[in-house]
Amino acid sequence: MKHLSNFGKAVAAGAFAVAMSTAAMAADGLNFPNLTYRTGPFASTGTPIMNGQRDYMLMLNERDGGIGGMPIDYIECETGYNTNKGVECYEKTKGKALVTQPWSTGITLQVMPRTNVDRIPILAPGYGFSPMSDGDTFAWAFNPPVSYWDGAYMILDYIAGGDMSSLKGKKIVLLHLDHPFGKEPIPLLEKLAEIYDFRLVPVPVGLKEMQNQSAQWLQIRRERPDNVVMWGWGAMNAGAITEAVKTRYPMENFIGVWWSGSDADLQNVGAKAKGYKSVSFNAPGNFPVLEDIRKYVVSKGNSKIKSEAEMDTIFYQRGIIFSMILAEAAKTAQDRFGENNINAEQLRWGLENLDITASRLEELGMKDMIPPLKMTCDNHTGHTGAWMLEWNGEEFVQASDLLTPNRELIKPLELEKAADYAKNNAPWPDRGDLACN
Amino acid sequence: METLYTVFVDPFVQMFEVPDFFLQVLWEGLVSGVLYALIALGFVLIFKSSRIFNFAQGIMVVFAALSLVSLHTFLVPFVGNEFVAAAIAMPLTLGIMYALAMSVERVVLRPLIGQPDIILFMATIGITMFLIGFGEFVFGGENKVMITEALGIPTGAIEFEPFGGFLLLEEKDVFAVVMAIVLVISLLVFLNKSAMGRAIRALGDDHTAALSVGISLSTIWVLVWFIAGVIALATGIVWGARAGVSFALEVIAYKALPVLMLGGLESVSGAIIGGITIGILEKVFEIYWGQPLFGGNTETWFAFIFALIVLLFRPQGLFGEKIIERV
Repeated sequence: MKHLSNFGKAVAAGAFAVAMSTAAMAADGLNFPNLTYRTGPFASTGTPIMNGQRDYMLMLNERDGGIGGMPIDYIECETGYNTNKGVECYEKTKGKALVTQPWSTGITLQVMPRTNVDRIPILAPGYGFSPMSDGDTFAWAFNPPVSYWDGAYMILDYIAGGDMSSLKGKKIVLLHLDHPFGKEPIPLLEKLAEIYDFRLVPVPVGLKEMQNQSAQWLQIRRERPDNVVMWGWGAMNAGAITEAVKTRYPMENFIGVWWSGSDADLQNVGAKAKGYKSVSFNAPGNFPVLEDIRKYVVSKGNSKIKSEAEMDTIFYQRGIIFSMILAEAAKTAQDRFGENNINAEQLRWGLENLDITASRLEELGMKDMIPPLKMTCDNHTGHTGAWMLEWNGEEFVQASDLLTPNRELIKPLELEKAADYAKNNAPWPDRGDLACN
Repeated sequence: METLYTVFVDPFVQMFEVPDFFLQVLWEGLVSGVLYALIALGFVLIFKSSRIFNFAQGIMVVFAALSLVSLHTFLVPFVGNEFVAAAIAMPLTLGIMYALAMSVERVVLRPLIGQPDIILFMATIGITMFLIGFGEFVFGGENKVMITEALGIPTGAIEFEPFGGFLLLEEKDVFAVVMAIVLVISLLVFLNKSAMGRAIRALGDDHTAALSVGISLSTIWVLVWFIAGVIALATGIVWGARAGVSFALEVIAYKALPVLMLGGLESVSGAIIGGITIGILEKVFEIYWGQPLFGGNTETWFAFIFALIVLLFRPQGLFGEKIIERV
């Protein structure tokens, strides 16, 4: 009985210790939820990115004890890229969250009004609503390093060889997912078509048609476009590239947005897709940061990657960049406020004043992995520019110098659509008492 | 006036003026239709024998295809040859589908004997959820490449120049059509000529009468779920050969629903004819009417509208059995 009593005390003490340490973690850790989509029709896009994001955060915990000595409490909530589940995940994780990463344009649009009330910054790197760049209207939303409209402009600029007037008389097909994400570049492309006098032909792909796009490619065959621009996600990419090969569309005239440039999507056709291109804000390579991840996470068996080869893929490395942006924003906030246990509002300030210079990238072991990134109060994107990557039959290689968007042309449209959004969602809050610098 | 021209004149002018393109549209429609029919067959077989609408058919396609590809990847380093690995992986995958059929019967269906149909339907939703979670845990969510060449499926293309134009048939599509025909004929022969096949049909006609003459419900359920698994594997191979193997394949199961509405839930031939009809009509409608009039993507809804119109006149579908309830 005495033994049992001692055992009971030990259990109680252990439970108390665990409870206290959990409470301490909850109070002192940097809580970064991520609304992941490792499952469902879009998992092929999501899984490598989420692996990269997770591994970078785990590496910071292992190597540096977190950020500024504060451990990172990195939490995944699975949405399957489903908007309803995404909203549920947001509600479930927002209690202690310093940030929300919604991971779909649909989820982003749904949770954006709520984040104003909950005062939690949204970090939607490389996706979301392009006018989110307007920090005066969307004080809590950030979509670095480039927006979809930046991407659409850069693709056309590449097609035009730097002279947009050469697009006159051309026919350009936009093959896009029939979803808020896929429709996102249409307003800008329509405006560019009007200015530069080319014909834009949108060809939507339904969710159920992603793996059988024969009708879409029959239309492309009939239209005989000069170029096809793809806004695809998940299984749509492999489906489109396979059909393009089958239709014998010239691959050098086929360019995808950055979500249509996953190595895995090209494996199905391999060398037959040689010449296919994808604009990307991260360049592939063997960067020093990968060595640290290998040493502190992968070699210890703590990564979810299936093989180390995944670390060389564009999407895994992009995931690392996304976590780096968040970590650097947290560090910026810690430095500014002189405390390591920052809150959501301080992290928002950190994002708004983020300045990742070339020398900082070198310190992080990410030199030339992305262009330097700087955000400001009225620029929540950074608009860093991107490179064109080309599939050489086995892997993506860099195929251009840094492309940059024409901000003078895009910004007025962003401001106009941001104002429309605020009007349609009235009463939409202004910045109020949020400090800028 | 312009709209009337777009609806009633222009499509037919285009079909006549560019006949090679029209033939290509018909071929693509036929291939899609055959693939829809393959999925619908899995539904029909289980419904025919047990009155269960198997919601899990779509995920069974994914599960079978992922099992095959993953087993092949696992075996290649051991046997050192892609073809030998495929030859071993294929029967092993069939074994997995058999084990799945056994498990479904033992764990899910047997305890629910005598329950209303809706309960059994809900149970298949449970099976779907389990297979999604289990499958993603085992295989991961990444897109995988179907082992098309290791399975001996031709990957070239056959070109024709009809009417001075250009018609291209992918050999793997031709293979899919031929395989579907062989599968359907085998299934029809099995159902009509073998004792087991007759037992399946007997159960479909009247459970109580079939049981009273000694037909084992458990054996038949395992058998039909296994055959549905074989069909799922065949479907996964041909769909996966087109655009890779991922959990997105599950979504295509929804394409079978209008086929079932049109062809009837109990008819094997209805699934085939319904699938091919919908495949061709939705493709022709999309190209000649959908894109000019609606901006495209009419394939998402066309088949459902078409099936609904048919149901207005034949509520049991084109080939379904007319249900007469005496009061």
